[in-house]
Amino acid sequence: MSQVPGKKRGSQLARDIRRHRSVYLLLLFPLTYYIIFKYIPIFNGQIAFKEYMALDGVLGSQWVGLKHFKTFTNSYYFIELLRNTLMYSVGKLLFSLPLAIILSITIYECNKPTLRKMVQTLAYLPHFLSWVIMYGILLALLAPGDGIINDIIKLFGGKPLDFLTNTNAFPWIVIFSDAWKEMGWGAIIFIAALMGIDPSLFEAALVEGASSWQRVRYITLPSIRPVIIIVVLLRLGTILDAGFNQIFMLYSTPVLSVADIIDTWVYRQGLLEFQFGLATAVGLFKGFIGMFLILGSNRLVRRFGGNPLF
Amino acid sequence: MVMKQQNKQSRYRRVGTTSVAIKPGKSDHVFNLVVDLFLIVLLVIIAVPLWSTITLSFRPNDYIGNNLQGMFLAPWEWSFSAYKALLGNQGFLLAFKNSFLILTGGVVTALLLTIPLAYVLSIPTLPGRKYLSLLVVIPYVFNVGMIPTYLLVTNIGLIDHLAAIFLPGAISTYNCLIMRSFFEGLPSELKESARIDGASEIQVLVRIILPLSKAIIMTIGLFYGVSFWNDFFHAMLYLNSNHLQPLPILLRNILMASGMNEYVEVSAFGDAPIAAIKAASVFMSAIPMIIAYPFIQKYFTKGTLLGSVKG
Amino acid sequence: MKRNCTRSSMLVTVVLLLSLSLFAQGAKEATGPTTIELWYGAAITEAGPPPSDWVGFGIIKEKLGIELKLTALPSNESDQDVKIQAAAAANNLPDLFMVRRDVLGRLVPQGLIAPVDDLYAKMPVRTAAHYDDVSKGHARIGGKSYGLADPGSIMKNEGLLIRKDWLDNLGLTIPKTTDELLVMMRAFTFNDPDKNGRNDTWGYGAFQEINNFEAWPGRRLEPLFGAFGVDGTWSLEEANAGLNVMKPEFYDAMVFLKQVADEGIIDPNWLSYKKDDFRAAWKQGRFGIMREQNAAFGAQSNYAPFDKNFPEGNWVIIDPPKGPKGKASIGPYTANFRIYAISAKAAKEGKTDKIVALMEWMASDEGYYLLGWGVEGVNYTKDANGIPVAANLPNANLAFSAPGGQTVTQLRNMVFYNGDIELYARYPKYVTETSKKEMSALAVLREMQTKDWTAQIGSDTLPIPNADLKRFYEQGLSEFITGKRVLTPANWTKWLDEFKRLGGQDWNDKGVAFARENNLLT
Repeated sequence: MSQVPGKKRGSQLARDIRRHRSVYLLLLFPLTYYIIFKYIPIFNGQIAFKEYMALDGVLGSQWVGLKHFKTFTNSYYFIELLRNTLMYSVGKLLFSLPLAIILSITIYECNKPTLRKMVQTLAYLPHFLSWVIMYGILLALLAPGDGIINDIIKLFGGKPLDFLTNTNAFPWIVIFSDAWKEMGWGAIIFIAALMGIDPSLFEAALVEGASSWQRVRYITLPSIRPVIIIVVLLRLGTILDAGFNQIFMLYSTPVLSVADIIDTWVYRQGLLEFQFGLATAVGLFKGFIGMFLILGSNRLVRRFGGNPLF
Repeated sequence: MVMKQQNKQSRYRRVGTTSVAIKPGKSDHVFNLVVDLFLIVLLVIIAVPLWSTITLSFRPNDYIGNNLQGMFLAPWEWSFSAYKALLGNQGFLLAFKNSFLILTGGVVTALLLTIPLAYVLSIPTLPGRKYLSLLVVIPYVFNVGMIPTYLLVTNIGLIDHLAAIFLPGAISTYNCLIMRSFFEGLPSELKESARIDGASEIQVLVRIILPLSKAIIMTIGLFYGVSFWNDFFHAMLYLNSNHLQPLPILLRNILMASGMNEYVEVSAFGDAPIAAIKAASVFMSAIPMIIAYPFIQKYFTKGTLLGSVKG
Repeated sequence: MKRNCTRSSMLVTVVLLLSLSLFAQGAKEATGPTTIELWYGAAITEAGPPPSDWVGFGIIKEKLGIELKLTALPSNESDQDVKIQAAAAANNLPDLFMVRRDVLGRLVPQGLIAPVDDLYAKMPVRTAAHYDDVSKGHARIGGKSYGLADPGSIMKNEGLLIRKDWLDNLGLTIPKTTDELLVMMRAFTFNDPDKNGRNDTWGYGAFQEINNFEAWPGRRLEPLFGAFGVDGTWSLEEANAGLNVMKPEFYDAMVFLKQVADEGIIDPNWLSYKKDDFRAAWKQGRFGIMREQNAAFGAQSNYAPFDKNFPEGNWVIIDPPKGPKGKASIGPYTANFRIYAISAKAAKEGKTDKIVALMEWMASDEGYYLLGWGVEGVNYTKDANGIPVAANLPNANLAFSAPGGQTVTQLRNMVFYNGDIELYARYPKYVTETSKKEMSALAVLREMQTKDWTAQIGSDTLPIPNADLKRFYEQGLSEFITGKRVLTPANWTKWLDEFKRLGGQDWNDKGVAFARENNLLT
């Protein structure tokens, strides 16, 4: 961070370190924690390149090179899995995240206390509905036999639609239902950020005669920008996680071509069949893509003057 | 928009200067209308799953009706059998106690580990901050999965201890970096003046940062709490002793009963339909949230930060 | 300032250590009796584990010198698999544990399981009641038996059921052939069989319930595929052995199912239903024909909601309809087992003899009644025929069938072998509350067993395809039904060729070879 001229660098660094002595004390526990609970598992992650045998342990198992990675990339469905995974994670990023931001801003801007309180208290609750419950609700709404939506369609003389087993409708259902369930929960962090805005800014804006739209655009949004950037960066880092629990609950055989994602594939292929090397290899594969995206977008953030991750 | 500013820490001043350039407008009424409308539509949309879950949880076993009645209208015959089945389960109190221990132990440990790390990462002049950040992000991005962590938990003897549920997740990189971004947003003048007065970083953290960050600490604490409270998977994996099983395991055992026990002549939960039990268990999983959120909302009031800075 | 630093960091340390030690319950070392760790499949998952003061612990300790340490496995099969495999990966398996056949097949090559061939002779009582050649063969891998396969659910415990009251309302008779079945499904769908004035019923009801030996469309639709002689994943007839999907009759069955789906005479939710939805649906009178399990249909608590909703309702068990070539079958059946395996670690630590003693004791009269029903006079009494009943007890809540007593019978699956006493006790006769019908899941079972089934003992031990091939299979077939693929002979052949190329042929050949090797062909 500190941009200092080259010749001063050495002494500056020494001074910085001296100045931050007590920082290392603060770091003692978190760093020890990281080494034990985060980096030892990563070290154990070498089983991605090994034929893991329980009796031989991590170190004693035979190296097999990229075998597990090849099993994954040579899958008959590899391209499709990648496509579906990206479709859902990018779709959710582009749909749910803006909605969560809009929700937090509207809650913040709402000048009717009762309405604001009601939304604030209820909006997060759908997060706690498990996907089992959500599936039941979706079934009641969308079932081809007697779903409410189809009842309405039939009322107007239309032909009932098979939303849940139709490959065109399924992706939309996944993305909408995710927003439905998680939007309020996702907004909490932005609401917390909004509470830090200095009210005198608004007073100043009022004096200047700024409209509400302008206030949102020039005060509210910019002040939660750092949080938005962090959230987006972190979500890019796990771009190949598309929501296992949701897909696993919602999908059925007729829509596999648009529903199967990397994680569901690993679940069926790896975890249930003692192929732990494969599961770990796929985890690393996802990590490489995520790291690439996080580093790239971090650069962009830095270039455009935001608060970067590194 | 004036985005480039020399002083990176002074976001407040930056935004302040920006607002000066704004020209007056007169569409506040439309704005308020749009805001209210959005919130009202949202309320309706959210009410659908919530209300239908509530009515479902009170549904008697022999309920029939068309879908519309099933989803939106209160059944004409209410039944508390689902709640009886859950709360009356012999294991309920023990499981609740275990979950409570996991929750409190988890949140305390997680915050004690996350806050210092987030704070250190937020110090702009820290040497090697970039590499430290990278060190924190790598394990987040490279998720090596279940077995490498399971091997660790076994090797350090945590299997069959409640701590195994929260220790592997005691620092969530996501929560940590969000917290960092809040710390970064605090007015730097305060920190600088304290440092000039000779305060150590620990003192800055405890005396200046923490009092200003109650809202975010409670929010992050809540995120941790909810995830530990509802952690089924790690409890299933790491806990063996029957007396250590937490609430998510108990709920799962009840929910799965219909799938596993079709050979059984009697049902332990009497006349509660499985769908009602599923719905009722939602409210169990939201308990910490329902209890804690109102308290947190107290801190969610406009300008909390500034008031304390001035005071 | 420095002192402050140290003090606060010490504070942090202390709190951290405290929070750790609070949760670290140290394991106590037992010196006297041998500790046997047992991961069991709970008999009644929603009831808790046996209490710590359960009399069984004392008896087992005193008589056998065993300190029994119990862990209930997760309540769902794939969770069980994950837990066991994770423990296996860390070489941390318990001494004795219940495990599914597929998982066992993966643990044995890792060298984690001890063979049990020698143990049968050491427990004569148990072997006589529980094990025969089929069960010994069930867990045989590479010539050795690696698990004690105890009898699981009863064979042929499902049946094809039809709403007799709907038939009577419409003046129809029980269908004997697939053609008559079609006529009746249409009538059930379009002619308002329940006379409620609404068009809210369908002919057939199902959901996708798939397993190793009942591949897509799965168990609930086997009676339709049985009419074409292609029920189940495999055919194990000597002359015709192989994957059913590769047989020409399978195409005919697909055409039939496609017609049923297109005409809308099967509940269209069948592709979206999960098990609970399906079971709620028949209780609400949505369809008139289904394949259901005897207790899921006929046990008191399962039948009660239907009885209350439809006092006039009447499901009858029928023969599977005959197809164009006169074939008929409810579906394939195999012998079901619960496998208990001994870890290689336990064998190495010399615990095998203790485990054998435990298993043998469980088969003694004392163990059988104690684990099956509890303590006589407390949890059960015997009726005139010597059958345990939940009557005349001082505290009714402690009856083996009441919530208070269920915890002491959690291990009963380790002692039950589907003997008559068990069946009478499990499936007692009862009178329904609203319609006052006399019912018994046992009578239902006995009737279901008399219908035509396809014998496929051991078909659940055949090789399974990899995930890609399995998906290709299931996705392809379901797409033919939903219309995403057009079902014509040309398209079918094309799909089948691709299936074979992807590994289907190989799977077929391996399966046939395995069946031949293990004498599974009939």
